[in-house]
Amino acid sequence: MIKTTGTRKPAHPTRRTVLKGTAAAAATGLLGSAMPRRASAATSMRYMCWEGYDKPSIIQPFEQAHDAEIAIDLITDSAGGFAKLAAGGYRDFDVVSSDSPWIARMGPADICEFIDDAEFADAYESFYPQFQAPFAPLQWEGKTTGLPTRWGWVGPTVNTKFDKLETWSSYAPCFDPAYRDKICVLDWGDWPIMPMALYAGINPYKELDEAELAEIRKVLRALFKNTRALVGDLSVAQKGLLDGSFRALIGGGTYCTSALRKDGHDYIQSIVPEPKDGLKQGIIWMEATGMLKGSDNPELAKDLVRHMVSPEVAVDLAWTEATCNLVPNSKAEDLFTAEQKNVLQMDYMWEAWDKSQFHDIAPNVDEMLAIFQEELAAAR
Amino acid sequence: MEVKPRSWRDRGLQAATLPLTTVLMVFFLVPLGLTAVLSFQSTRYYRLVWTWDLDTWVDVFTHVHYWSIMAQTITMAAACVALCIALGLPVAYAMAHRVSTLEHHITVLIVFAFLTDAVLKTFGWVLFLDRSGVLNGALDAVGLGPAATDILFTPSATLLGMVYNLLPYTIFTIYLSLVRIDRDLVLAAYDAGASKTRTFLEVTLPLARPGIFAGGVLVFVLSLGVFLEPKVMGGGTSPMAAELIRQSFETRVNWPLGAALTLVVITIGAGTLGLAALVLMRLSGRREATR
Repeated sequence: MIKTTGTRKPAHPTRRTVLKGTAAAAATGLLGSAMPRRASAATSMRYMCWEGYDKPSIIQPFEQAHDAEIAIDLITDSAGGFAKLAAGGYRDFDVVSSDSPWIARMGPADICEFIDDAEFADAYESFYPQFQAPFAPLQWEGKTTGLPTRWGWVGPTVNTKFDKLETWSSYAPCFDPAYRDKICVLDWGDWPIMPMALYAGINPYKELDEAELAEIRKVLRALFKNTRALVGDLSVAQKGLLDGSFRALIGGGTYCTSALRKDGHDYIQSIVPEPKDGLKQGIIWMEATGMLKGSDNPELAKDLVRHMVSPEVAVDLAWTEATCNLVPNSKAEDLFTAEQKNVLQMDYMWEAWDKSQFHDIAPNVDEMLAIFQEELAAAR
Repeated sequence: MEVKPRSWRDRGLQAATLPLTTVLMVFFLVPLGLTAVLSFQSTRYYRLVWTWDLDTWVDVFTHVHYWSIMAQTITMAAACVALCIALGLPVAYAMAHRVSTLEHHITVLIVFAFLTDAVLKTFGWVLFLDRSGVLNGALDAVGLGPAATDILFTPSATLLGMVYNLLPYTIFTIYLSLVRIDRDLVLAAYDAGASKTRTFLEVTLPLARPGIFAGGVLVFVLSLGVFLEPKVMGGGTSPMAAELIRQSFETRVNWPLGAALTLVVITIGAGTLGLAALVLMRLSGRREATR
């Protein structure tokens, strides 16, 4: 018998309810003593998100305005965050910000609430037309799973002191013997696989047959011949790119670029290769924010989602310590300085958009990851 | 006072060991059992599906690359053991017999290095070995040219990192066995006309064997689980068992596969320990027989 993991909200008290009850009892016992402001907040919420969303300048104004306390749980990888929520952890959280395919998965997985686009019409109004409702990448059977919060693109990240950008108008140098031992592949799940599939002439976001998977295997095998390192740590990749040890980073895109450009290395650029045989070669990634099922504070969760996509917060969200990213909010564009716009490559963003397709749920992601692992093991 | 041998059927002994047994059962055997249970499930689109089949195990036993990574892990672990003993033995011997006045200082230095965070030390090696790093800078300064060495992101760099991080285990286990050697036995060998080399080979080394053996086994088992060195210093292109397991759990979100591979590595480690125990028992049995 096949039994899928349960995702229904239980009828009995949730863990959050029990914890809150315990916390309330403890708080009552401590009444009269000098309590810090945050601990005396009327409402507590839990927010699972990527680094940057937890900035005090973003969270504290919301807490003050709503007399709420937000406990943050940082995501270190999207798949891990999803697995935690899917395993029942969604009961402990109110709001989540993760990569869009994962937010898109959360609706049908009964983890996330579907939201009413009309209710968020004011938020959509301030978005670029490309992100306005109905926004297909965050929809499932016509129902919306969350709102977009940050975005960027995946293409080769290049140091223009060593290479001309035109060289990378295609992924061809990844397989050129002249670049042997000079390519750095980012160890970020399916991110490096998708551009390679596109180069092989295969759209990885549709159902693939055996022949197509074999082509992806071939192109990954060829890539690993030129790969010096498979790097999970961004700082190692960025250091190698700066000193020329790595001539291009594959699978990172703007996520690797912006922090370096912010530090004054504006000769580092992420571009999108030209379409090949009619197939767009870039990938637009996006983060989104959704409300989890069974929140004790659904209205406050909606307010937090609305807060995260507001123009002022969008600017803060784009400009963080770890990375800098584009935001879907057009009104935020006026609030960026010229330097910030340059760092974010905003003059290039719509060209990148036009040459890219959206990062979505790939039906054969399990097989592609297995192939990636096999070819990596066979590489040396 | 006479110490009576006690049977495991002894009620008093059972009661005395009950807390420890319970802790071991709860925190070791139960997770191990759950890992075994997990290995019989499957995943689809990153979700765990309760299937109770052998698909994952079939996958493990039919895919050559898992076993090539396991073989590479065992090879690297064996090389690490050999290098750790080769480097650790002279250091331990010097600490025990040659620079005994500096013994405590050396111990403090090794412990200090040992206690420093492995992540910090490993990333330090990256800065040192990089093409534009300290080592190549120094070699360039003496006229050997830029990027004279290029071992970062190679299996050699992984091995270097492993030896560097695990060497203290062999130094201390060998040192402990060396200081326990009865000095009179060494002096007796000298009195009998043996040279220093022969005394070392025929008296000191055989008596230090349990320490060498224990250090070797310890390093081998720890080497099976190294994660940082192949990833950071090896550049991730020659993954070892721990990285394979991480990829299976995190990147592929294939928990049953990760669980099955974990059990394979645990089996290899347990097999090594069992084999080591058997060899030790044989050796001690032979020693008893020759008395």
